[in-house]
Amino acid sequence: MAFTLKLPAPWESRGWRAKIRDRERVEPPHVTIMHKAKAWRFGLRTQQFLDAEPDPREIPDEVLEATRADLSLLRQTWDRMYPENPIVSKTPKKPKAKRKHKWYK
Amino acid sequence: MVQVNDQLLLVEPRGHASGKFQRLKASRLHFQSDVRAAMAQRRVYSLWIAPSEPAMDLLLGTLPRRPRGDDRRLLSFERARGDAQNLVHAHFRFVVSAGDGVQLLPIAELIDVLGADNRADLFVGGVVLAAQSALLLYRGNLEPITIPLDWFASRPGSPGPDVSKFAVTDYGQTVRLGDYEAATDAILYEFDEDYRIRAKRQRIEKDESIGGSIRRLRLQKGLRQGDFPGVTAKEIARIELGKVKKPHRKTLQKIANRTGVPVDQIQSY
Repeated sequence: MAFTLKLPAPWESRGWRAKIRDRERVEPPHVTIMHKAKAWRFGLRTQQFLDAEPDPREIPDEVLEATRADLSLLRQTWDRMYPENPIVSKTPKKPKAKRKHKWYK
Repeated sequence: MVQVNDQLLLVEPRGHASGKFQRLKASRLHFQSDVRAAMAQRRVYSLWIAPSEPAMDLLLGTLPRRPRGDDRRLLSFERARGDAQNLVHAHFRFVVSAGDGVQLLPIAELIDVLGADNRADLFVGGVVLAAQSALLLYRGNLEPITIPLDWFASRPGSPGPDVSKFAVTDYGQTVRLGDYEAATDAILYEFDEDYRIRAKRQRIEKDESIGGSIRRLRLQKGLRQGDFPGVTAKEIARIELGKVKKPHRKTLQKIANRTGVPVDQIQSY
């Protein structure tokens, strides 16, 4: 069952939604904030928007604050729904170059 | 004479205007001369809407004798009677008819989707093809896309998809099958390479490496690193980490075989 975050009443009645659905693009973990025909993917690892468009500034502050306030709930929900790609499994970073000389020892 | 300068064309005979479509920013075609003028214009594609029986009658009565092969698409709310349906298909590349069992978005949402710049990335409706175990979905530009029903996999602890309760919701952004919901974005990402390439360009955080693509592809398909016959989990991990910059062609072929994605499309993920 899809998860719908409870948003402050006036924004919900104006058609704002925040959802994690049963089939999403799996990587990176995110919640989708929707308003009418527009959608914004908000990353649950980085707390950053994942896409350049539409402009995240179109989202009312109250909606974004409510989303951030329930971040731990959203993260738990993602991990329950997508155990194959949990929040803690960060995108692997490129390994650091090995030191060639151990002169400091 | 109505100026026809838009891709959206609403057939609305005088005296039969539908209040429901008042908000839609489309060129209105009231008379046969309007329809003829619109037919004569060349566009990348045109999306025609016939919301009523009189609208269908006006349209059918004005179709030219010989189709020019332009890319016209028709959304109708009344199925053309009898043989006229063949005539419609002769003149329109894609025809979506609510009278053919297609479930459309509620009118208020439909108008927003048809008027949206990103209408091609949203669904306006669809129909379950039980015999083919597939879901036929229509995008806002009326292009069809067919999704196998088994793609809608259950999530742990959640009810599975109920195809008897199919609907498109959230202004075309969600496909609902009972309590189960799938993101339109996820469907298009999986089944439309052009969409996937555009979506990749949109991402703020870019990891253009082949390892990043393989990791996203693997996770999208719900696979673990050890799920690739003939390639060890360690090797997959090394590729994803960027320790292997250019995986061997044979390795890529094995990844392609397991994921069902052609080698040349792996990097689109």
